[in-house]
Amino acid sequence: MNLFRSEEHIARWLGDREPGATIPIAKVVELGLAWYADRLHSDWRPHTRDQNQGLLNGLGLVGEFWQLP
Amino acid sequence: MDQGDINLRNLTYGHLRKLGRAPTADEVAHASGSSVDDVRAGWRRLHDAHALVLNRETIELRMLNPFSAAPSAYRVEAGGRWWYANCAWDAFGIFGALNTDGRLETSCPDCGEAVGIEVRGGRPNDTSLLFHCLVPAREWWNDIVFT
Repeated sequence: MNLFRSEEHIARWLGDREPGATIPIAKVVELGLAWYADRLHSDWRPHTRDQNQGLLNGLGLVGEFWQLP
Repeated sequence: MDQGDINLRNLTYGHLRKLGRAPTADEVAHASGSSVDDVRAGWRRLHDAHALVLNRETIELRMLNPFSAAPSAYRVEAGGRWWYANCAWDAFGIFGALNTDGRLETSCPDCGEAVGIEVRGGRPNDTSLLFHCLVPAREWWNDIVFT
């Protein structure tokens, strides 16, 4: 889960490997802020799978690649 | 995950925030009034429940996501301290967990060029960068350190 200068840099870094998913940095900032917003709360409770899937879906991260087990 | 393990998890994260680093089992045992063995056994159960990540060999903390207990390529300044994150996603997660703005310093894995990003009010100051996630979501926890 890395940040790259451009699509060209991603392709070169991947080499022969199958690509995963590429999203703009603004989207992953939103994702990080939402995913971990409660992580230091003193009353933290574990997220359910559906809660986490809802966070991904809510940011438009849909499709087979983003489906949690 | 029972309430006792949730309490242990929250105590461990509380120490991380207070100390600015991952606590040792000794420190958490002292704070909780339990034994080091009990803390390590609880951490093992939390590891199995994906609530934290232990080193494979040492039963010490490896990740308190989004924070990394080990030095990494993702250095984050937030809340008046420098932290290590596990990946780019987690770097921005530190701003979310601490509910603050901050700065990420890393490098492009392809060319090695330094990358510095400020996030203010939830917005990065450089929107030209791209995030690549190699592993599909269904496989993230097969090897979370690699992911």
